[in-house]
Parts: sequence; C-alpha cells; structure tokens
Amino acid sequence: MMVQTFVTLLAVISPLFFIGLINKVKAIWAGRKGASLFQPYYDFMRLLGKGEVISTTTSFVFRVAPSLNVAAVLLALMVVPVPHFGSVIHFDGDFVLFAYALGLAKFLTVIAALDTGSSFEGMGASREVAFSTIVEPAFFVVIGSLALLTQHTSFDSIFASFSTTSRVTPLVTILLLVSLFIMLLAEGSRVPVDDPNTHLELTMIHEVMVLDYSGPDLAFIQYSAALKMTIISILIADLIVPASWTMIPALLLSAIIVGIVFASVGMVESLIARARISHIPQFLLVMTTLSLTAFAVVSFYFFGSIR
Amino acid sequence: MFDLLVGVLLVFAGGVAAIFFGNRAKGIIFFGFMTASQFFILPVTVGVLISGRDLSLPVYFSGPIGETFLRLDPLASLFALVVSAGSFLAALYSIGYMKAYRTGLSSYYFFLGLMSASMLLVVVVQNAIMFIVAWEVMSISSFFLVSFENGKEDVRKAGIYYFIAMQVGAAFLIAAFAWASSVSGSPDFNSFLSVLSGSGGVSVLLFVLLFIGFGTKAGFVPMHTWLPKAHPAAPTGVSALMSGVMIKTGIYGLARIILLTKNIDPMLAYGVLLISLITGISGVMNAIAQHDIKRLLAYHSIENIGIIGIGLGLGMLGLVYGNPLIAVLGFLGGLLHVVNHFTFKSVLFYGSGVVYSQTHTRNIDALGGLAKFLPLTSAMFLIASLAITGLPFFNGFISEFAIYLGLAKGFSVNALPLDIAGLLGFLGLAFIGAMALLCFTKVYGICFLGSPRSHYHGTPNEKEWTLLLPMGVLVVVMLTIGFVPLVAIELLKNVVGEFLPSGQSGIIDAVIPTYRALSISVAGFAGLFAFIFGLRALLLRGKRVETFKTWDCGYQVGSPRLQYTGSSFAQPFLSLVKELVPQKIEVEKEPVLFPEGASLETHSQDISERFIIRPALKWLDKFLDLFSWIQSGRMQQYIIYGLIFLVSLLVWIFGVR
Repeated sequence: MMVQTFVTLLAVISPLFFIGLINKVKAIWAGRKGASLFQPYYDFMRLLGKGEVISTTTSFVFRVAPSLNVAAVLLALMVVPVPHFGSVIHFDGDFVLFAYALGLAKFLTVIAALDTGSSFEGMGASREVAFSTIVEPAFFVVIGSLALLTQHTSFDSIFASFSTTSRVTPLVTILLLVSLFIMLLAEGSRVPVDDPNTHLELTMIHEVMVLDYSGPDLAFIQYSAALKMTIISILIADLIVPASWTMIPALLLSAIIVGIVFASVGMVESLIARARISHIPQFLLVMTTLSLTAFAVVSFYFFGSIR
Repeated sequence: MFDLLVGVLLVFAGGVAAIFFGNRAKGIIFFGFMTASQFFILPVTVGVLISGRDLSLPVYFSGPIGETFLRLDPLASLFALVVSAGSFLAALYSIGYMKAYRTGLSSYYFFLGLMSASMLLVVVVQNAIMFIVAWEVMSISSFFLVSFENGKEDVRKAGIYYFIAMQVGAAFLIAAFAWASSVSGSPDFNSFLSVLSGSGGVSVLLFVLLFIGFGTKAGFVPMHTWLPKAHPAAPTGVSALMSGVMIKTGIYGLARIILLTKNIDPMLAYGVLLISLITGISGVMNAIAQHDIKRLLAYHSIENIGIIGIGLGLGMLGLVYGNPLIAVLGFLGGLLHVVNHFTFKSVLFYGSGVVYSQTHTRNIDALGGLAKFLPLTSAMFLIASLAITGLPFFNGFISEFAIYLGLAKGFSVNALPLDIAGLLGFLGLAFIGAMALLCFTKVYGICFLGSPRSHYHGTPNEKEWTLLLPMGVLVVVMLTIGFVPLVAIELLKNVVGEFLPSGQSGIIDAVIPTYRALSISVAGFAGLFAFIFGLRALLLRGKRVETFKTWDCGYQVGSPRLQYTGSSFAQPFLSLVKELVPQKIEVEKEPVLFPEGASLETHSQDISERFIIRPALKWLDKFLDLFSWIQSGRMQQYIIYGLIFLVSLLVWIFGVR
C-alpha cells in the first residue's frame, strides 16, 4: 500500500520533469545548452504565485474549468496501472472511465475557450473537437484488441496478462505502441499535430484555446496537459514491461520507457515541422489503421491459422 | 392495476376539464388533474418495478376484441413511469410556456391529455387490436399538437409529414399484427409468442415488419426523417414530451417483441445492432450541421435511439449466444438509456424553450452570452449537455458504460461475428461520443457563453418558475442516477430479469461491484476537484485578480460578431465528413474593393432522406399514378363505381353466401 501510494505520487509529480526533458532534447538538437530539466517546475511555482486576469466576457465556466480539468485527468491516472504495481482503482470496464474522464477534461477546456468569446479560441476549440472524433474511436480499437487478446475487461487485468499470452504479442505490441504514441502527440498537442511554441499563430489548436488564462489556472492547464502525456506513456510502458518483473526493475524500466517516449516527442519536434491542418486527419487516421491492424492480427490469431 | 386505469382516466379528464376554463386557468386545471393522476400511477408502477410481480386486469369488449386483459409487468411499468412523469412535467412546463399563446389552448390541453392517456394505454394493453387503437390515438393526438401553430406554412407541412410518416409506420404494424393473429388464431400478444418464436422465415419477416413499424415511431434510420421536421414545429412542452417520451413507445414495442421472441435469430440481433449503429452515427452527424436548436436536439434524439438500440441489439446477442451477462449489460444499458434520455433530452428541450421564449429565435448563430441572463437555465442545460455526451458522472455515462462493458465482454465469447460486432460497437459508440462532445460544446458554448451575437429585444430573464421547476426535478434525477447508479439498477433489476431465461435473473448482481466502484470514483473525483479548487482559492487570496476584456491578440476593435459561430465551429468536422453530410453553401459577395455587405448560408442535407426516402416516395408516386384514372373527376364515372359496387354486393349476398 505504501509503495503503491509512493508510485502514484511519483506519477503525479513527475510530468513537469518530462516536459523539461522534451525541452532539453530540443535544445540539444538545436545545438543549445538548454534550460534545466527542472525549469517547468520553476515556471509552475511562479505561475502559482501570481494573480489572474479574467475576461469580462466569461462566466463561472471559465473559472472552474481548469480545476475540473486537473481533477478529471488525475482520475484517469487512478485507473491506469503502473507496471508491477497495478492501478489505484480497478474494476470491470475501467478503461471506459479512463477515456471518458479525458473526454470530460476536453469538454471543459473547449467550453472555457468558447466562454471568452474570442474568435482565436473558438478556432482552436473547433479543431480540437474535430480531431478528437478520430482519436477517440481509434483508442477504443486499441482497447478492443487488448481485450480480445487477453480476454479481460479491465486495464489492470489486461496488462497483467498481456505480455505472457501469445505468439502475436510482439507484433501487437509494436502496432499498439505506435498507435498510442500518435495518440500521445494528439492529446498532448505536440508536433506534428500541434505546436506548443507558437502561441499566436492561426495554426494552433490547444495552446490557442487557453490564451486567456493566467496565474494558477494557467499552471493547472499546463500541468494537466503534461500529466495527460505521462499517463499515455505509462500505458506504453504497460505494453512493454513484462508483468512478471519484480518491483525495482519494473519501476526502473517503466521510468526509462516514459523517458524515452518523451525524448522521442522532443526528437519528433526537432526533426519535423508541424503538419498542415488539412493533413492532420490523415496523420491521425494512421492511428486508426494501426489499431485496426492489431485487431485483425488478434482475430487471425484466434480464428485463423497462425496459432 | 385498477389504480392505473383511474390515473389514465384522470389524465384524459384533465384535458376535457381544461376546455371549460378560461385561458389562464386551463394550464393550472390540467396540471391539477395530472398531479392527481400521479398519486394513482406512481405507487403502482414503482411497486411493480420493485416487487417484480405482474399485475393484470381482465377486460371485456363486445365486438372483435372480446375478452382480453391489461397487464402491468416490470417492462410496462418502466415505460408507464417514464410516460407519466414526462406528461406531468410537460403539463407543469406548459403553464408558463403557453402563456404566450391566446388561441387554440383548449385543443392544446385536450390533445395533451389524450396523448398522455393513450401513451399509458399503449404500454399496458395486451391485445393487438386495442394496441393499434391506442397507438393511433397517440399518433393522431400528437399530430394535432405538432400542428398547434397551424397558421404557419412550415408547421402545417411538418404536421402533415408527421401524420403520413406515422400512418406508414402503423400500416406495417397492422400488417404484422393481422398476419400474426391469423397464424396464431388470436389477437392476444401472448399467442404471438409461438408465431414469433417459431423457426423459419415467418418469424423473421414478422420481426422485420414490426421493427419497421415501431422503428418509424422511434426514429431508426432511415425511418427517422419526420423527427427533425415535427419536433421543431411543436410547442416546446410537446417537443420535449415527443422526444423524451413518445418515441420511446417505439422502443417499448421493440422490447416487447424481443420478450415475445424466444430463440432469436442471430441475423435479427446483428441487424438491430447494425441499424442502431448507423442510426446513432447518422443522427449525431446530422445534428452537428444544424443551426436550429430544436432541430439539432431532434437529431440527437435519433442518436440516442441509436444508442438504446445498440443496447437492445447487444442484449439480443447475449441471448443468442447464451451469455446472460452480456444480455444483462445490453438490456440494462439500453433500457436505462431510455430513462436517461428522457431526463436529459427533456431538460435540453425545456432549456431551449426558455431561450426561445426570451430571445424569440432558435437560430444558434444568433445567440450567445445567455449564461449571464439565464444562470439557472444555463447551469441545468450544461449538466444535461454533459449527461447527453455520456461524460462521467452524469446519468448518460452510466447507461453507455453498461453497453461498452457488454461489448467488451463479447470479446471473451470466442465467436468471430460477435468480436467484429464488438469492434464496430466500440468504434461506433466512441465516434458517437466524440461527435456528441463536439455538438454539445457547440450548443452550450455558442448559445450560452461568449457575448450575444445579435440584439435581444428586452433583457432575457427567467422569472417564470414553472419553466425552471421541471428542469430542476429532472436534474435531480440525473444527478442521482449519475452519482448513485445502484438506485437505478435496483429499479431496473426486474425489467432486465424479464428478458433473461428463467433462473438466470440473479446475474444482474454481477454488475453491482462495478457500479459501486463507479460511485467511489465519483466521490474521489469530487474530492479531487474540491481540493484543487480550494487550492486555487487559497493561492489567489490576497493576489490581484483583475477583470479585463478578452485578449484578442492585440486587435482592439473586436465586436461580438467576430466570435466563432456554431457554423464555423462545426466547419472543420463537417469538411471531414462532407460526403456523409453534404452541405449547400451559398455565398454572396460584392466584387468590389471595399465590400459593404456579404452573406453566407449553409444548408445541410440528410442523405438518407435524399437517397432513400425521396426516391422511394417518387417510385411509389409513379406506381400509384397507374391507378390515377380511377379518380377522374367525372361524376358519371363515380356513379358507375357505385353501381358496380352495389351489383357486386347483391351478387355476393345472394349468390355466394
């Protein structure tokens, strides 16, 4: 129990560090020294210490959205198992709660953006919801292939038996890993779907939705975005780390995998440019295709002749 | 059981009594009768739901019906409860809402009473002939309610469209019932059991006919085209009643025939699931493209009928594969969604009615900033939006969760078709969920948030408490189901149990730990939020919190008209699905350097109407044209018809008999 609490706390605290890691990787690629790995924490604390400017156009929605957002993403974290340690709460169908808690966070961010009455934020919001209509179904295909392969219906038991099941596991792992990575780029608003650095461009999605936030609320929003990315990378770690590993190696390997995932985000961001808005759906549909392929592979395993 | 009949009579009597009072008193008198009826209907329906014991009352009619009985089983009780609660709230809402109308109120309350009473009868009669009579009374009374504002051309058109659609649906039902009765020898539903459960083509074809008949009422694609026309035309109280309650009688019919069908053909189960998926996706996709808030909500009813249908289809699959857990989750999800959709869709319609009564427009793009004028309406509309999107921890999530879980359980059955159905179900439900999120962020965000996009005549207000109270009641129900789902499961236990093979009804207990865990998550979530929001308050204490106008990236001459509109908000998505929701875009621009005026209009088209319904009607038209010579308009010819008729009658009577 103690250890479980420790691991959860670690997951709650670490996201900003990984954001620092992304920035470091980008700095190295650009030939700069870069800021400290802990710079996001300093920024976070500084924002928490500030006052706020709140638009006169807004209603109560604008004020409660960031806090609800963080609470929803934290709830999503609670059902995601950390390799070896499992999840804080688990029950049949907890993955639905996971996906819909993230949906709740998205709903609130979007209406908070519309609350400001700014056309920029409306633009970001409309794109955010449009692209999530592709990501959401694809994520459920990912879950579907995992549930079919392991014959379980809860994150915890799915990943507890995933690595030991069958001959197709390595192939499925690769397919789902790439799918989840694409989901991470989309949900975390990263290149090539979105660019977190160019705050004022018309091409923005997520960043433009939170233009009017300042102070603690902005800190909450940045934290919840980082936390969301960490959660998805923990899912990626779940795919790779064998369930049979003992505590210390499992935790270490998971941390390394999450680190690698975030470093890859930094690499992607350094190496390629942001895609044109009209090309983003195609990129996101790659996730759908890969997860459908994974589902097909699993079906073949059960009903075809590759057993 | 006798109580229920008294309740039905009171509902009807309320409509009649209202005729004799002045305009202002009509609503109150009707509401009084409705309140009285609740005392008779609520205890008996809730009693049956909890105890699970059927009540029945034998009745005798002279003529073709003969001896039959009324029966209140848990399934009928569930729908009777929804019907009675829905009509009660609609009556309350009408008191305030109908103040704006001076004429036609007598007929309004009369038909409202008639419609409510007939809906109650529809769910308890057990005889095909009586069922059709009650069904038709329901359709015709609601036709009069839809065409309440018959001074308007488009209302008349919508009314007639609705009337015809209902009659087409009824024709399928009559055909199916007549066939089933002639095979079984009796119009009693119980005798249909052997016909519907028999193997071979007859039972399947009958099921299909009944599905088309009930599906027309419920709004399954492609029989849904009347909904987006009729719902906006009706006064809001009636729209809410039709959308939240009346279309559910179609679902009731479907559920009833599922109950009467033992050994369900797998193709039928897959068919229901597939059509429901198409219905759900097409409903919400079309909803996104709408500008009229009530039309948008009507399309959402289609979506939710789709979700209910997915639940029922999944339940049927559970029965087909002999897996009671899947059956429980499917039927539980579908039937709970019936209740849930009633609650949030009524709130949404009532809310849109408040908006309409205060701003006199239903055009989403002309609204905005209403949260400041209508804080209570806005808060309740937001809760209902979150619920209809299926987000935790509102009631929509509870029912959709059961369906998701049932689909996931299907992966362990080891049947490839079921796995593919599960995959499609996952894809479809998630797609529906994401699109609903888009649609309701649009409706809520554009109508209630930001600044007004047009000038409101007078300051919108919500002084009329009879408009707010029905919403308040429903919000309490929604939150209760969302936070403590076990209450709802306890009430639905016996309904779901009816669908299971005998001896297996205990399986429903298997879902209780799951829902308990969800309740715990709600508590956790509330705690987390309270902590974080408290932290925020603590951090901001003593700090400068300024208010200033929205930062528009340095552009200082912004006006509310620069805000994103509903159309622009939906555009990125609609451009992705332009083949499925074709839009006609008309742009008018002045070809000069400094244009003073420009206009843009978008009209969306419903492809199932364009490619299925209209061609079918055209084909029918051509076919019927072949007989048009019969009605020539020449009097002499008609006299000959009369003569021929009389002569053949004579021949038949004296010659054949």
